[in-house]
Amino acid sequence: MQPKLTAKALCANKEIGKISKVIVDPLSHEISHVVVRELNGQGIERQVPISQVQEVVSDEEIILRCSLEEFVRFPVLERDQYVTIKEVEIAHLEDHLHVEPGEILVPLPRLEQGVPRRTFFANMTHAIGTLIALPLVYPVLKYLMKPMFQPYDNAWFSVGNVKKVNKENIGFQFKFTRGFKEAFMPEQQIEKNIWVVKATPAVQQAVYEGNDKKFYDDKGDVIWVNKSNSPYIGYSGKCPHLGCGYKWRKTKNFPDGVFLCPCHLSIYDEAGKVIDGPAPRPLDVLPLKIDAGGELKIIDVEYKAGVNNQIRLL
Amino acid sequence: MKEDSQVVSQQNAFEKVVEFVDERVGLKTIQAKMLNEPVPGGSRWAYAFGSVLLFIFILQVVTGILLMFYYVPSTDHAYASTQYIIHEVDYGWFLLSYHFWGSSAMVVMVFAHMSQVFLWGAYKKPRELVWLVGLALFGIVMGFGFTGYLLPWDQRAYWATVVGVEIMDKTPLVGDFLARFLKGGPTPGQMTLSRFFVIHVMVLPAALAGLAGLHIFLFRKAGPAGPFRGTPEELKAKTDYFFPRQIWKDIVAMATVFLIICSLAFIEPVVLLEQATPDPGDYHPEPEWYFLFLFQLLRLKIFGGEFGQFLGAMAIPGAFMAFLAALPFLDTSSERNIFKRPTALIGWTVIMVFILVFTVSAIINRHFLD
Repeated sequence: MQPKLTAKALCANKEIGKISKVIVDPLSHEISHVVVRELNGQGIERQVPISQVQEVVSDEEIILRCSLEEFVRFPVLERDQYVTIKEVEIAHLEDHLHVEPGEILVPLPRLEQGVPRRTFFANMTHAIGTLIALPLVYPVLKYLMKPMFQPYDNAWFSVGNVKKVNKENIGFQFKFTRGFKEAFMPEQQIEKNIWVVKATPAVQQAVYEGNDKKFYDDKGDVIWVNKSNSPYIGYSGKCPHLGCGYKWRKTKNFPDGVFLCPCHLSIYDEAGKVIDGPAPRPLDVLPLKIDAGGELKIIDVEYKAGVNNQIRLL
Repeated sequence: MKEDSQVVSQQNAFEKVVEFVDERVGLKTIQAKMLNEPVPGGSRWAYAFGSVLLFIFILQVVTGILLMFYYVPSTDHAYASTQYIIHEVDYGWFLLSYHFWGSSAMVVMVFAHMSQVFLWGAYKKPRELVWLVGLALFGIVMGFGFTGYLLPWDQRAYWATVVGVEIMDKTPLVGDFLARFLKGGPTPGQMTLSRFFVIHVMVLPAALAGLAGLHIFLFRKAGPAGPFRGTPEELKAKTDYFFPRQIWKDIVAMATVFLIICSLAFIEPVVLLEQATPDPGDYHPEPEWYFLFLFQLLRLKIFGGEFGQFLGAMAIPGAFMAFLAALPFLDTSSERNIFKRPTALIGWTVIMVFILVFTVSAIINRHFLD
């Protein structure tokens, strides 16, 4: 049993004062001292170690071990060496202390007395809150999703003249500018690039494996077919590993040149096949045609990077 | 009452105002509670990391707000307005560079803070929730780095985002949706910039402020863990309050970090590359330095191919984060001394060495690309 505030303190069967405060150890959370206010007029407060409390008789009375002479030798409480528990933050300090003199009560308002519908009101509050939130979910989602899914752009773009590709089995970069319109913004011109290889029959075979390559629109209809024997092959400038821009580079191990992506060091040969590095699939072949004047045209198809199969994005 | 009125009449005007407010708000009690937090075993420099993080965050908010006075989040103005801040606005270069280096400092401090908590065993019961909220905060700090990186709209910004979003696309089930949601379309563009901007300046700061508040509340609720050795008597003898000794150490640490960030901003101010375009030109894309180890990891052939990439970019980091989240529930022994927790010590060392080795090898790799 813990000593209670206002309990009488007895010393050698004689009441010497009342407990006015208790002192708690901040680490052990146990009461370390009781503070006894002397009965005499001055009301001196003495600090008595808890070990000196012989018995807690009841909420109203405790018995101390000491004699009357010993009691007056206990130190006087130095109040400014302490803070109240309202002024300090010690976790769980009050959890197992029961030193309050009692509960402090206020009556319920008359209208609240015997109200049986508290749970009902609480549930209704939540229900109405949900009813406010729910109708917002779909519009907000649609609002945010507006630009996320767009039909493919199957327009042809001129990228340059095929005469630039003057050697076989070497990557040539073609830069082109295309219009790009987003939301309310005026159409912007953005720079992109593709790589074109003039392929020998062996490389054509490696790329197409003897089959014409078909390209589809969102509905699944064929929009273009690259013939398997067409000598010019265009690769999307986006690395199929994680979407960086790769380059045609000559390296020590590949003096004839390879496509090398500087990001994660994927290496592809002139047929777009992965020679080394982490890429999951060969370079992406673009729909490509050459008009009478030798102008190269492509559809700016983009696929998702990092997956084994081509999943078209644009 | 008579004494009270005498006391009041002796107060000067300022004290009266303080008294007036205190009577209505209870400021003095709140202040006392904030400052009178017993620190078991006494104050230490090692406990300063959390306070320093809060300090860095506040200055990131201040510099971030200042940058927004000139920055325009649109693809045709983002780059130009950032260049304008750097080259035209008085001290713009400094505020931008401070914000830039501040973000790096934040990541470094998060690592230090998490390491300290881990090594001290301070994530254990009853502080599991403090640790969990801390992990969420770690995620938010990473999110800040990722979204803020795009805003200058130069080549560095653009390509880090292209690759980062492609990686997020590999999240199971929701990846495609998540990537399109962040990009605001099939490919990065204006909508990506708008979304990253709003996430960076509104969503994440609100989330961080709220969760940091919860983090501190839970920490206060559980109480500081204190050192991992020492008898209760020794700890009690050395215990002091948060104020003044710990706050003194905190403020010295904050000032040091502030000076370091300022120095970095002076020595290495932010310089933009060319404006972002889907043609990288001669630029070799690279993420921010604290993502370099992951970047280098994904160069390994074993993390190649669709499955390997999923393993390296998603499964392993995801499993590691899940492991960290489960840690206080798996490691239920009450032993906090790091020298008596060999698995924890070895594990921490291995991870630090791994991050260091991969970061350094990514830096060495740069030379072979030029």
